[in-house]
This record gives sequence, structure tokens and C-alpha cells, in this order.
Amino acid sequence: MLILNGLVNGLLYGGLLALLAFAINLIFGVLNVLHLAYGQCVMIGLYIIYVLTILLHIPFIISCFVAIVALVGLNILIHVSVVQPLLKTPLLNQLIALAGLIIVLENVALGIFGGDYLGFNLIFPAFAIGEVYIRISMLIPFLCSLAALAILWLFLHKTYTGLAIKAVVQDREMASLVAMNTKQIYLITFAIGGLLAGIVAACFAPIYVVHPHFGLAFTLTAFVTVVLGGLGNLLGGFIAAFFIGIVSQIGAIIFTSEIGEILVYVIFILIILFRPQGLLGVKVRSA
Amino acid sequence: MKGTDSLRRGILFLVIAVLAVLLILSPFLLSSYLIHILILIFIWSAITTAWSYMGRFGLVSFGHGSILGIGAYTTALLFNYYGLSPWIGMFIATLMAVLFFTGLGYCCFRLGVAGHYFAITTLVEAMVINLLIINFRDFTGGSLGLTIYPLGTAPLFFQFESKTYVYFISLLFLLLTLYIWKKIDRSNAKRALIAIENDEVASSSIGIPIVKYKTVVTAISAFLTSIGGIIYAQYMMILHPDAITGLHVAAIGVPFKAILGGIFSLWGPLVGTALYTGLEEFFRVAYGTRFIGWSMAVFGVVFIILIIFLPRGLYGTLDQIFQERKAFKADKHSTIP
Repeated sequence: MLILNGLVNGLLYGGLLALLAFAINLIFGVLNVLHLAYGQCVMIGLYIIYVLTILLHIPFIISCFVAIVALVGLNILIHVSVVQPLLKTPLLNQLIALAGLIIVLENVALGIFGGDYLGFNLIFPAFAIGEVYIRISMLIPFLCSLAALAILWLFLHKTYTGLAIKAVVQDREMASLVAMNTKQIYLITFAIGGLLAGIVAACFAPIYVVHPHFGLAFTLTAFVTVVLGGLGNLLGGFIAAFFIGIVSQIGAIIFTSEIGEILVYVIFILIILFRPQGLLGVKVRSA
Repeated sequence: MKGTDSLRRGILFLVIAVLAVLLILSPFLLSSYLIHILILIFIWSAITTAWSYMGRFGLVSFGHGSILGIGAYTTALLFNYYGLSPWIGMFIATLMAVLFFTGLGYCCFRLGVAGHYFAITTLVEAMVINLLIINFRDFTGGSLGLTIYPLGTAPLFFQFESKTYVYFISLLFLLLTLYIWKKIDRSNAKRALIAIENDEVASSSIGIPIVKYKTVVTAISAFLTSIGGIIYAQYMMILHPDAITGLHVAAIGVPFKAILGGIFSLWGPLVGTALYTGLEEFFRVAYGTRFIGWSMAVFGVVFIILIIFLPRGLYGTLDQIFQERKAFKADKHSTIP
């Protein structure tokens, strides 16, 4: 019965992971840049929500929207100031500059809020179906993330901008050859990344406590999910997120929470060695 | 031209001699706090230099934390539980660390994992080692850290009460890593690795054994990093998973220092580490907790600006300007007799 509880928790956790992984997948697919500081953006969003809800007593929903807007702004700023000048430089410089961004964001948070763990004190009840306990605070974010993913899917498949983004993922040079404004697409992608970071922050707020070193492990788990599902493969990433969620939760129940995480990472290493195109991915040109 | 050349050589020799004397005398003259800072700079410069063996050829590793963790923890655990001297434990630990890191590296190179994927795989390796240390907390001390059983001054067990011994050990170790940097820089492997970095398929088509070269340079880097980690642990006498394998120390900190100084030049990592450690300590001592976070945030911003505008690093850029001027002068002398 404990295992069944773990399964349900894993499913709910997987829903959040899917959202997180989707943003990183999109940015990596479009710009070929690994957004290492993505978890830190979520962390900043959580702090914004904390300030607005707890310190200024603004309703939670409104502060979530403010956080989303702020994160879109932050991501556009990151794109213009850090990523855009480095698009043509070697891989090392991009990675290290974004790692530098981690240092900046974490230390700004540390400077303003100190190193304490700040909780949101939002209390939701839990209900039981049989002997499986489900926390409402996990269920609502799960549904929100599913809704967000559905809207994004529609956006990518039905609108002109979405199709343009998908075209850039498939072939960057050809996209600019047929007169697509790739620079604008990059900017839009980063803005969408910020939007998703805001939604993730709003979803995380009832579940986690926030502290300055919050983000990196989440970014890593999200990247594991992306690779597991296959790069640029939306459905694969979606399924992989649930797989990762269930593996880590059940591993945590049977052994310890560290072993759960180690299992995920070991699976990642095996996948990247033997099936780098992911579980569902098709082999794409490497470049 | 011969006169100025020998004069220049004489000045260089004099500078080196003065520096050597200063370095030998400094542990007897400086306060023990300053010696501590110097030791930290030496050890981390050595590790950073070892990192740059790989980094300068485009093999971005965020996983040197795993090497540090395996090396330092194996040595300390062998000593604490089995009384094995760190001088012997060092070999076992380093062998394990090299086998782990190079083994996985070999698999990656063999199966064509490169670029972003290689960087993330190494990052995951460091996370796995970090979590393993935390998980087996009954044995390793977990997040509470592990204290090496103190014996006072015991040279046979790599424990010294006086900082002077560690000072010279770390200085010698730093010189060794710099010497090996020079060796690699003058070897055929350098040209091969640069070719591999530029175009893997083309270089393998002209018969360069890519996997072999990459694995060898990874092994050398891992070997020296592990020894550096062991010296650090034996000096600090306390190990903490986040202070050794933590992402902020090894995955971000080490490349950060290397890039700051410049990874394409011999003295770059040393300059970067000295600057980083020096500034960090200065802010900590001068401003204490008042500016906690802010000094590092400013540092990060400066760093990003540096990456964008001076991708060769501080020392690397100076070196390049100097080399260009020298080449320009030599050119002028050869054309105008």
C-alpha cells in the first residue's frame, strides 16, 4: 500500500517535472543553449511570491501572476544580456556564463533574504481514496501543469509563431533561409521559458520551502527528463517525467530519498550512453 | 639583438630567483593566516590547472567533484577505520577515482557523447558521488562531515601541526601540475586534441585516435585532481560532502577560477584562483556578514562581462597582447635591417 502511495505521489511529482522539463527542452531545442540557471529563475519567482503573499498580504493568485510577469522580464533580460552575445562562441563560454548567472542569482537572493528557509504556510487538506492519500497541494499544481502543457501544445501546433519555433528546432539554417526572424524566435522562446518558470514557481509554492540554493538539483532532474524522453520530443519528455517521478518516489520509499535520486541519475547515465536519442526519440543529425 | 636578449634572460632569471627565495622564506615570515590563504591558493590552483588540461580542449567537465570526493573520502575512511596511512591510501583512492571518472569518460568518448551531453553527464557523476556520501551516513558521516582522526604531527600519516610542511607539499604539487601542463602543451597530443576539438569526424578520418587521446588527457587530469583533493582533505582534517563534491565548489567554482584567469595559458588558472580566493577572503574579512551574498553577486556579474568581452580570461588576454607585440617587433626587425 505504501508502494501505491509512492506511485500516486510519483505521478503528481511527474506532472510538475514535465512542466519544468518542457521549458528546458524548448530552450535547448531552439537555441542549443543549456539554460543552467533555470532553477534559479524558479527560485527568484518563489521569492517574489513569498514577498507579495506573506509580507505584503496580497492574494496568492495575484502574486503568482506578478511573479510570472516578472520572470518573463527576467528571462528576456537574461537572453538579451547574456545569451545573445554568446550564441556564436564555444560551448564552454556559454555554459560557464550561465553557471556565472547561477552565482549571481543565488547570491542576490542570499543578499536580500539571507540563507533561511522561508515557507509559505499555505495549508491544504489531504483526502484519501481507500488507503491512498492524496495531498490537495500536490493535486492542484499537477492539474495546473497539465493545463499549461495542453495550452502550450496547442500554441506550438496551431499558431504561426508556434510552428515557426518548431521549424527552428528542426533546422536552424533552413529556417533563416526561408526568411524567418530567428532572433525574434529566440527571444520569444526565452520569454515562454520565463512564463513557464513563473507557472512552475506558482506550482511549487504550496509544496516546497524556498532558500537561495534551491534550483540546481531541479534543473538537473529536468535535464535528465529531457534527455530520457528525447530531445525536442514533447510526448517523450512528458512520459519520461512521469517515469522519473515514479522511480524517484518509489526508490525513496523502498530505500532512502538519496537512493531514489541516485537511481534517476544512474538511469540518465545509462540512457545517455546507450540510447542518446531518448526512449521515444528518433535519431537526429548531430550538430 | 644578442645583447638585449641575454639581458632579458638575465632579468627573467633574477625575477625567478627572487620569487623562489620569497616563496621559500614566506612560511617563516608571514602570519599563519596568510600562510593558510597561500596554501588554499596553491591547492586549488593545482586542481584548477588539472581541470584546464581538459577544459582547454573543449572537454567541459563539471564532474571533478566526483574525483575530489572519491579521492579524499577513500583516503580518510581507510585511515579512520583501518588505520591505513594516507600515503598508501592515496594510491588506492586515486586509482579508484581515476578508474571511475576515466572509465565513464571512456564510455562517453567511445559512444560519441560530446559537448553539452558530456558536460551534463559529468555533472550527474558528481551528484551521484555527493548523494552516495550523504546516503551512507553511518559510514561516511553524511552531511555532518567526517573528521580525520587526529594524531598531532605524524609525517608517516600525512598529518602536520605546522602549516609549513603543507605549504611546501602544496607548492611542490602546484609546480608539478604546471610542469605537466607545459609537457602537454609541447606534446603531439596537444595538436591532436585541438584538431579533435575543431572537428571530430575530420580528425578521426585522418587517423587520429580520438578516444585514446581524450581518455589519456582525462586520466591525467583526474589523477592530479584526486591528489589535490587528498592534500586538501589532509590539510583541513575535516571533510564535508558539499565542501568537496558540492556543485558550487567543484562544478562551478573550479571552471570559474580557470576561466577567470584564462584556460589557454600556463599561469591563467593560477592567476584566476589567486584573484578569486584573495577577493573572496578580502570581502569576508573586510565586510563580514554585512555584504553576504552581494560581493559574490558583483563578482558573478563581472565574470559574465569578462566571458563576453574577454573570453581568453584576464591573464590570457594580457599574454596575447604581449605575444602580439613581441611578434610585431620581431617582424619589424626582420624586415628593416
